[in-house]
This record gives sequence, C-alpha cells and structure tokens, in this order.
Amino acid sequence: MMRAYFDSLASHLSGQIAAHPAQPQARRRFNLEIARLGQRLFSATDTVAWCGVPVPFDLLNAMDVNSCFGEFVGAMMASAGAAPAMLRSAEDAGWFTDSCAYHRAIAGAAIQGVMPAPHFLVGATTPCSGGLAALENLARHFRKDLFVLHFPYDCGERGARDLAGQLEEMTAFVAAHTGRPLDPLRLRAAVEKGNDARAAMIDVYRLAARKPSPLRSHDLKDFGIVMPLFFGTDAAVDVARAYVDELSARAAAPANPSAERLRLLWIQNRVQFKNALTQIMEDEYHAKVVVDELNDVNWAPIDPDEPFLGMARRMLAIPLHGSIARRVEHLGRLAKEYAIDGAIHPCHWGCRQGTGAKGLIQQGLRDLGVPMLGLEVDCVDPRNFSEGQLRTRLEAFFEMLDRQQQ
Amino acid sequence: MNPQPRIGFACSYTPLALIDAAGFSPYRLLPTRHWGDPTQHRVPEISGALLHDNVCPHVLRILDRALAGDFPPLAGVVLMNSCDAMRRLADAWTATRPADALLVLDLPSAPTPRLAAYFRGELERLLDFLAACGGRRPTGDAMAAAIQRYQDLASGLELLRDRARRGVLRGGWATIQETVNASVAGPVEEALAAVDALLVEPETAAEKMRGTPIYLTGNVLPDPNAFALFAECGARIVGEDLCTGSRQHAFLEFDGEGDALAQFARAWLSRPPCARTFDAGAPGGAADAIAAAAKACGARGVVAHVMKFCDPYLGRLPVIADGLRRAGLPLLTITGDCTNGALGQFRTRLEAFAEMLEAQL
Repeated sequence: MMRAYFDSLASHLSGQIAAHPAQPQARRRFNLEIARLGQRLFSATDTVAWCGVPVPFDLLNAMDVNSCFGEFVGAMMASAGAAPAMLRSAEDAGWFTDSCAYHRAIAGAAIQGVMPAPHFLVGATTPCSGGLAALENLARHFRKDLFVLHFPYDCGERGARDLAGQLEEMTAFVAAHTGRPLDPLRLRAAVEKGNDARAAMIDVYRLAARKPSPLRSHDLKDFGIVMPLFFGTDAAVDVARAYVDELSARAAAPANPSAERLRLLWIQNRVQFKNALTQIMEDEYHAKVVVDELNDVNWAPIDPDEPFLGMARRMLAIPLHGSIARRVEHLGRLAKEYAIDGAIHPCHWGCRQGTGAKGLIQQGLRDLGVPMLGLEVDCVDPRNFSEGQLRTRLEAFFEMLDRQQQ
Repeated sequence: MNPQPRIGFACSYTPLALIDAAGFSPYRLLPTRHWGDPTQHRVPEISGALLHDNVCPHVLRILDRALAGDFPPLAGVVLMNSCDAMRRLADAWTATRPADALLVLDLPSAPTPRLAAYFRGELERLLDFLAACGGRRPTGDAMAAAIQRYQDLASGLELLRDRARRGVLRGGWATIQETVNASVAGPVEEALAAVDALLVEPETAAEKMRGTPIYLTGNVLPDPNAFALFAECGARIVGEDLCTGSRQHAFLEFDGEGDALAQFARAWLSRPPCARTFDAGAPGGAADAIAAAAKACGARGVVAHVMKFCDPYLGRLPVIADGLRRAGLPLLTITGDCTNGALGQFRTRLEAFAEMLEAQL
C-alpha cells in the first residue's frame, strides 16, 4: 500500500517538475525526495533502518542505509489518509489511546504488515520516552536488533563527547549488520554535503524571516525535521538551494503587505492529515506561519576531521532535548528574529514532550511578550478533529493579536 | 523527629545509599500523604496548568504538593532523568521554586560499559551536589557502610515478602508497603530497625490461602490500602514488581571491578528494570521477565497497575500483554491516578479477574 502511494507520488511530482523546468518548485522537489525515500524504505530490497528522530542520518547515508524516524511513517500514514485504520489496529492490540498517535500508527502499520521489516533499528532517548518504547516494540515485533543512543541531559561538551563515543559504537553496530564498514572518505564527503545543506538552509531561513516574508504557511511544513533525513546526500543541498531560489524570486517581486497582517511561530509539529487550518488562517485572517520551531540551524558546521563530535553536538542542539527553559530560550530567539506576533502550539494529544510542557512554554513566551495559543488537537489522528472548534479558537486569538497591534 | 536534613527524590532509581553516605535522609516525594481517606486534606490541583493535564498524575500530584508547601523542609531535591514526566517535573520545579537546590541526575537506559562509565560521572556529580547542599563528601568506608545498610534493608524486606507470600506476616503486603513507605521518609537506620522488629515477631499462624494468586507489576502504588483492596477482591498477591515496592530497595550485585563508584554505577544500572530501562539486546525483554517472575512465584495471573499517561509503560504494555498471553498468564491492566478512589473504581474489574482465574482451574 505505502509503496504504491510513494510510487504514485514520485511519478506525479516528477511529471509536474518536468513540465515547468524553469521554475524552482522547491516544495515539489522536497516532496519528491520524501517520495523517493519512501520508495527506498518500502522497496523490500534496500538496507533499511527505523530510527529515532535525532539519529545522524548523514552517517547512515554514508553507510548506504536507507533510514528514517518512525514518526515519519506515522505522518505519511496521516497524510495519505491511512492513519485511522492503523490506529484502530494498534488499539485492538492493546495500545492505549492516551499514547502518542505517531507511535500508535506505526505500531498498527507493523501489525497490519504495512511497515516493512528493517534490517536493524537505532533508537534514541530524545525527544521522548514514547518514541523509544515504540522502537523497542518494533524491534520485538520484527525480531531485529536495536541500538540505543542515550542522549546525555548535559548538553555541553561532556555530554557531546560521550555521545560521540556512542556514535562510534553505533557505527560498528551498523557495519556488523550490513557487512559494510564505514568508508572514511564517504563519511568526509557526507559531512561536507551536510555542511553545504546547512549553509543553504541558513539562507532559506534568512529569507523566510524577511518582513513581509516571501513564505506561505505550508512552504516549510516539516522542513527542519525531515531535511536531516537527506543530510550527507546531494538531495539535501539541491532541495535547500531550490528554496533559496524560489524565496529569493518571491522576495524580489512586489509584496502585498496586507497579506501578512499577523506573523506566527508554529511550535513543534504541524497537523499531518489534510485540513484547512493554515488556509483559513491565511485567507480569512491574513495570519501567516513564518517559522516553525524546528526550522532552524542551531548547530555549527561539522569538522570533517572530527565528524562524530560534530554530529553529537548537532544532535544535542535539537530544541526538543534538555530543559524547557532551554527550549523557551530558543523559541524566544526565533520570535525575535522573525518579528513574531503570536505563537501556536498544537498540543498533540499523547505528547508528554511538547504538550506536557504547554503551561511552562506559554508562561515563558508570555514573559517574552509573545502570546501563545494552545490548540488541543491530535496531529495524526483525524477521528476527533473538529475544524469548527479550532476555527473559533483561532479567531479569538487573532482578534486578540489584532487588538494588541492597534 | 528527624535530626538529619532531607534530600527529596521521586524515582526509585535515585541512589539512596550515596545520599545517606553524605549525611542526608532520603525523602521520597510521594503524590499524597493521606492514604485512603478522600475527606482528608488535599492540596489544590493546579499543576495541570503549569504542564498539561495529560502528564503522569504521579508527577502532577508531587508538583501540587511542592507548590502547596506540603513537603517537609528539604536541603535539596534529586530528580532522575528517567522519563518525559520526570523531566517536566524538574522543569516546573525549577520554574516555580527557583531558590530550591535541584539536581537532574542522568540515568542511562541500558547498562552498557560506556553508559555505566558515564553514569559513574553522574554519581560524582551527585556527590558534588550533596556537598553543595551542606553534606559531607563520604569516604570510601562511609560509602561502603551506607551501601551495606541498603543491602541489609533490601534483604530484610525480601524476607518479609517471603512471609507475606506464605501468609504468615501480620498485616501481609500492606505491612510491607507501610514499611517501605517509612523507609523513604526517614533515616535508613530506623527502617532497618523496623524491619528487624517485624522479623523477630513470630510468624502468624498461616492464613488459609484464600484468593487467586496474582503477580502485581507496574510503577507507583504506595498506598497500603490498595493491598487490602486486592485481598478483598479475591486476589492474593504472591509477588510484586512496583517502583514503590520491591524496586524501591533492590539488592545489588557487585562485580568487584574498578573503584567503588564504578562498581556501584554498574550494579545500579543492572537492578531489576522498570519500563524505561531495558536491555537493547533483548527488546521487549520486560514481557519475558514479568512472565518468568510471575510463574516463579506461582501466580496464575498478572495485574499491571500503571500511571495514566505513563509513556514508558503505555508503550510497552502491548508487548507485555503479548508475552504474558504466550506464557499462558492472563493480564488485567489498571491505570491509576494516584488516588485510592481511582483504585476503588476498579474493584469490580479486580473481582471479575480473580473469579475468571478461579473458574479456569
């Protein structure tokens, strides 16, 4: 089912891109790379690893392992409209509806035989307890080996050095399971490509921060969390540069200031199934999402001579790791850089990482002068989605922001 | 009267022996101090606004008590980096009580050599924190003595559990829970004396072994009344694996290699695991471990009592259920919210479960 979905998606996007060769078509190129990754993951022939969100995919790409975080599959299921069937399957098998629907969806997909068996799994203790439990379940289900990266709470140099050591152990684990030892030259090339992608992403974000922003709310949906899947490959560089080209062209065109009355910061994840929220926000309220929490480059370029340490530092820099005070500090910096009017926190039911800190994040942002709206929603499970209720809450929030501006 | 200053903690993975060795009395931050009686004083439940109502109620109720000043004076607080909920507790505590000395102690998820070495560094950090809280830097002998006290406590409690299993302990499992609760509210010496006093009591006449033997697993269930409820429902506990029960004081196995802290770090990470700590080499091993423990003590079914919204358990219960099904052990899952009222709501289910097990004979 998913292979057919990705085949169809890749074919459709390739056709559209080919039909307009002079246009950057950044979002289509980004989605095409997602479809191609999906094709490889569901190919039944390539080496596949299911992983945690912050695993270094450039390292795995350098070892010819097609990998992605499990939540990606949950998001794809939601996007394809297949999540409810997977969720029901997981719930029939004993999964509680209080658990995260990203994880329930992949458990259901595994039970249904929709999720391909990996060659191995690499879990991580960040960003959440539930994610690691989901991967442990998959490892048990598929009877495959699991390697776990423990993210030190200490985000400083001591923690980075320990995590770098774990990455060396992970490399040995991967090599033992693929029979392919890491080629240092390929790793160096992957690191350099990752640095190129990083530089282009900084340009993307710099353009997005302009006032008015050349961005539309959906342009960079899931960008910051998905792009690392392509790190170490040309695809990451090409996609980021396509965005630079597209946003530069838009920025050069005459702007319509009234189309951007309110500039918004979106916290953590977008709603993954089809919905009209951002469209409503833009069309009816001229409120635009100009930055997502995870759309940021907050790590230094990686030294190709010390790749593991550089990757470890990048991994620890993920805003979802560490204390909420650190997270709020990051959100505050984004709010300032992007001249934000307000923030929206979709409180994904079942998420103890982001939703669990809703009150602290709200208070922290309030202290920085950034109003926040918490939307009680499940980002993957559409069964209880109520657009009318959410519209009412958005309307009230935007009215409040408008009053503040006057 | 407790002459020793207290260090608060909220997770059974907290290394109590080191806190004791530094001259403090470890004090478990429990979600309530009034068991069983809903008319008793309860603190306002406001922590949901600070975090979210979908967070583990164990953490929310602890936070409520902290915000209400319902804990005795604490020289410091040690919270383990064990799960999202504990991290959120640390975040909220720091935000609302910034003057308190608080340490988040990292807890690796697996006992690999690298992670054990890392955890040794964390134990050093704990000793530094305790010194900053006014404690003494323990000598090797002091540390060894403290570790031995907790080993003795674990051994003594295991002897009491054996009596409870045989039905010859006055008060049964509720007595053990009261003893465990007392052991984390005052100096360990007092707990040892209490255990010794119970052990020198003559065994009571063996009760008629009524009720279906069940094994109890899960996380937070410190209320002694809960154990009486199980008995009332026809469920006879023959073993348990709770973080406020047998995992609170687990006997450690030392390998004798390296310095004392390194040995302690390895032994600590090799304790009987809860859902958040596991052997990556045996994914889902918790299911096999629970099945083996339940069978070893003659249980005919398993009751899992877990906190609502506890991700480590919610994420592993399906595997545990599957493993127990394969082992021929029926499972009843109860999600609690740290109130006896919630447990009372499950009376009917407990009774039905016990009757179902009886009917299978």
